[in-house]
Amino acid sequence: MNCELAHERLVTAAYGELPDEQMHELERHMTGCPDCHSDREQLQAMKILADALPVLEPPANLVARSRLRLEEALDALPPKRWYDRLSQRMLNNFAILQTAPVAVCLLLVVGAGAGILGGYEFAQGRAAQLAGRTPIPKTPSIIEQPAAEITNISSIVRQPNSEMVEVRYNQIVPQQMEGSLDDPKIRELLMLASENSASAGVRDDSVGLLAAECRAGHSCQAAGIRDALMVVLRYDKNSGVRLKALDGLEPYVAADTRVRDAVLEALLNDADPRIRTKAVDILEPVEADTSVRQVLHSVATSDQNRHLRTVSRKVLSRVPDIQ
Amino acid sequence: MDGGKSAQERMQARAPEMELIREAQAGSRAAFDALVRQYEHQVLRLALHLTGSEHDAEDIYQEAFLKAYRYIGNFRFECSFYTWIYRIVTNLCLDQLRRKKTRREDHAVVLDHSGDEIDVLASVSDDRSFSNPAKELDRKVLGARIQAALSKLTPRERMVFELKHYQGLRLRTIGEMLSTTEETAKNTLFRATKKLRTQLAELR
Repeated sequence: MNCELAHERLVTAAYGELPDEQMHELERHMTGCPDCHSDREQLQAMKILADALPVLEPPANLVARSRLRLEEALDALPPKRWYDRLSQRMLNNFAILQTAPVAVCLLLVVGAGAGILGGYEFAQGRAAQLAGRTPIPKTPSIIEQPAAEITNISSIVRQPNSEMVEVRYNQIVPQQMEGSLDDPKIRELLMLASENSASAGVRDDSVGLLAAECRAGHSCQAAGIRDALMVVLRYDKNSGVRLKALDGLEPYVAADTRVRDAVLEALLNDADPRIRTKAVDILEPVEADTSVRQVLHSVATSDQNRHLRTVSRKVLSRVPDIQ
Repeated sequence: MDGGKSAQERMQARAPEMELIREAQAGSRAAFDALVRQYEHQVLRLALHLTGSEHDAEDIYQEAFLKAYRYIGNFRFECSFYTWIYRIVTNLCLDQLRRKKTRREDHAVVLDHSGDEIDVLASVSDDRSFSNPAKELDRKVLGARIQAALSKLTPRERMVFELKHYQGLRLRTIGEMLSTTEETAKNTLFRATKKLRTQLAELR
């Protein structure tokens, strides 16, 4: 250690800020250097002299005076606006970010990565959609008829790898017609109603009207009404409707063998005893018919319904011979 | 100053102060007043000793705390509030010293109360009076003379010496307050003590 360095370290040591290892080195130098030893003494003297100018506690009146003056000055200041505080807070936050550059960079990297990943996923989804799509109509291809009603869905087909679906459906358009029972169009509608209507009430009405036409002898065969009534007698699920059809066919049992056969079938197979009983009544005029007598004989002997057995025997007793 | 406390203790002691600072930053006048109460004596003590004038000390107090109030939103807890407020005070004191230096009187000659010249260092070094501060010297006169010697320093040297010798701050803290390094503060202290010794030697 030279004297120049020793002079500097003497000052640091005099104020207690020389590291221990440097203090040891300085002491070793001091023991062999009278000049530096003298310098230390002068430094210590200077410190003592400097203490002749002591640091005094401020007088109480100085403190009070200063405080009062400060309060007056602060009271005179305008209050800080909310946007001033907000902007200051934002600046502070920005400054905090500046003091943590690594954290900020990490945050930016993570945020950018999340954004890129999200954008990529979105783009992939859109590309998949566009790849599987047929030309997309601008609006759905649904054409509605005024007051049209969808009756049923006949098929549903989905395009592969696509959001497109093809739906086939049936619609009905409600219409209304007024006319005479003799009007062929009216009769046609009544016959359709007797076969297709989902409502037993509608079938009942239509069959009743048709039967009344037949009983009245209003050109029943030519219009196909008789055939329609026979279909109703054989297949309609409603017994009341079947009964009306049977009523309508009564005038034709003797002349039309097809009607007679339909009635015989009803006598043998119908679930409703009223219809079977009615059938027996209708067949009585033609009881001489062999097929009729055979059916009546079968019912009279083996039918489970006692009343029908009785009725059938009575009819058979009135027919002396089979024709 | 607080070398006896552990870092944990210092942190715990600063916790209430941090709350006060945050409240003051949010606009609480009461919180700021509480901070003023905590530091006003230290500020006045420093300003008074540095300027030697109650009027100047009061001005420095006023300016320092008004600045603190205005810019407390800028405080980001990167250092202690003590360092931050002292930084404001030392800068104001430096400005004051620079203004005073232009109109500083020449106090090179040290006179006692009877008008005789005093060989301060001779009496001290010969009689080893440094080991006995109770030597009969007129401290008031001597104090004025010391003040005169101090006025020969540059404002920065004066400030470093003030903060080190009279306020007892560590060189690292002084460096923070003066926005410089510990090494620079050390070199400044060395120059200040060297000049002071020269000044006191010239007082013969």
